[in-house]
Amino acid sequence: MSDFAPAGDPVIPDYGQASDCVINNGAFCTDWFISQWSTVFWPPLISHIVMVAIAVSIGFVIAFCAGLLAYRKKWLAGPIGIAATFLYTLPPLALFQLLVPFTGLSLLTVEIALVCFTLVIIFQAVLVGLSGVPDDVRRAATGMGLDRNQLLFKVELPLALPSIVSGVRIATVLTVSIATIAAFVVDDGLGSPIIKAVSSPFNTQFIGAGALAVLLAFALDGLLVLLGRVLTPWTKARS
Amino acid sequence: MTQHSTGTSITFDRATKTYPGAAAPALDALDLEVEAGELVCLVGPSGGGKTTALQLVNRLVDLTSGDIRIGDRSITDQSAIELRRTIGYAIQQSGLFPHYTVADNIATVPVILGWNKERIRARTAELLELVGLSPVETWLPRYPAQLSGGQQQRVGIARALAADPPVMLMDEPFGALDPITRVAVQDEFLAIHRAVAKTTLFVTHDIDEAIKMADRIAILKPGGKLAQFGTPAEVLSNPADDFVAEFLGAERGLKRLALTTVGEIVTGSSDRVGAGAETAGWPDVEATMTLREALSVVSAAQAEGAIVHAGGSRLGEVSLHDLIAPPTAGEDREGVRA
Repeated sequence: MSDFAPAGDPVIPDYGQASDCVINNGAFCTDWFISQWSTVFWPPLISHIVMVAIAVSIGFVIAFCAGLLAYRKKWLAGPIGIAATFLYTLPPLALFQLLVPFTGLSLLTVEIALVCFTLVIIFQAVLVGLSGVPDDVRRAATGMGLDRNQLLFKVELPLALPSIVSGVRIATVLTVSIATIAAFVVDDGLGSPIIKAVSSPFNTQFIGAGALAVLLAFALDGLLVLLGRVLTPWTKARS
Repeated sequence: MTQHSTGTSITFDRATKTYPGAAAPALDALDLEVEAGELVCLVGPSGGGKTTALQLVNRLVDLTSGDIRIGDRSITDQSAIELRRTIGYAIQQSGLFPHYTVADNIATVPVILGWNKERIRARTAELLELVGLSPVETWLPRYPAQLSGGQQQRVGIARALAADPPVMLMDEPFGALDPITRVAVQDEFLAIHRAVAKTTLFVTHDIDEAIKMADRIAILKPGGKLAQFGTPAEVLSNPADDFVAEFLGAERGLKRLALTTVGEIVTGSSDRVGAGAETAGWPDVEATMTLREALSVVSAAQAEGAIVHAGGSRLGEVSLHDLIAPPTAGEDREGVRA
């Protein structure tokens, strides 16, 4: 889909028959969207999903471990929280700029930045979830002879799940959004067709890609809600 | 019903707990011998150290000095984790795991102890029957949020009994229940206690609950000192000091009367000469009523006594004097001890 004809070839490229919508640059040309789906939209959508999945997964592992650590060693909660909040406050573009000299215009640069933005959300969610376990439940569990690991894995983590899941939901939606800026670094993700279209007067490409990003955020959020329901069947059990 | 392990004695030997940073001990050199199979209530005002005393036994709180023995064995002879798995523990609000079903809650300790599934299933069903939650199948898959407070507390008791521990610790287990549910669960627990004979330490701030439940009552006063240890009748008849008398309240005379039923002091009609004329206008009472309740009936009728019935037939009479000064009041409660 190069915009340029091969050098030395004088033939004017044949773009075929454009629809009225495309010729008049309507707000959104469904026929163009469908005809360009497999080249302009589908590949960026897939790479966007992969980018988000990698970032949230790695962010989850790091933040989860940090949350557990802060829960066990209370004095660490402050420093870890401040560090994670600091990373969260950095403007994404500035962070890219900062990383490029070290990690280049690569997916690694993008992922490092994206992970940084998930950390504080998931970390706080883990910590709040664990701290929210009722004292009488913890006391009963300890009094019955559960050791520390049994207390953590049988009681505290399951009861923290609703909070952890909502943290992952927010982090995921946020990452879907921030990942569009990754197109400044790599030609990947839904940000790529958006950035290419921003400087042109043609609307359908960036509206289509933007809408896909929004729909993707809703879809992933919905999946996580379902996952949460499966993992926490007791939360909807009421007499 | 499977075999239950019989209870084991609990001995406090100058058990003392001073919390870090506290000037005075929360529990001060407590000497207490709870006999095997006995139900002892720890009562007292806030700051009396009764919950501390209880949590010392399963080492949720560590002794500062002194010792506690279960049977012949000091609680410090084994790891705290191992010790706790041999002690039933029930607390206020039940402490049930909200994410576990009733079945999983009861099975908590058996699962940790590695029982096989069949044994756990049988034990869980047996315990639910024991605490009055049947048919068992309807309760097993429910979550605590789907149970009433009383039902949760019953499951909490079943869970504490799950691994058939010789010793039970109960920390204000019925404190959050409404009065009617509370009486029902108390009665059920007493029946269970008689059936399984676990040595039970029961913390309550409610002296009436203690009088009703306990074989013996240990009254702790602020500063964690033992003020008196005796049967409900002994404590009510002879308070050791002003603190105990005040704690028992102005109605302690009446509370004592609640320990005896009319049936226990009734005099046969034939013992009284001219009974017919004397008892005209006396109200009817049931033999199962306590003296306190009968006294209330007699007072309401402005009579000099009451006519006692049992199962529809006339058993005899009790005079007002019999009711307020019963010769044997409360003595039946001392049968547990020598």
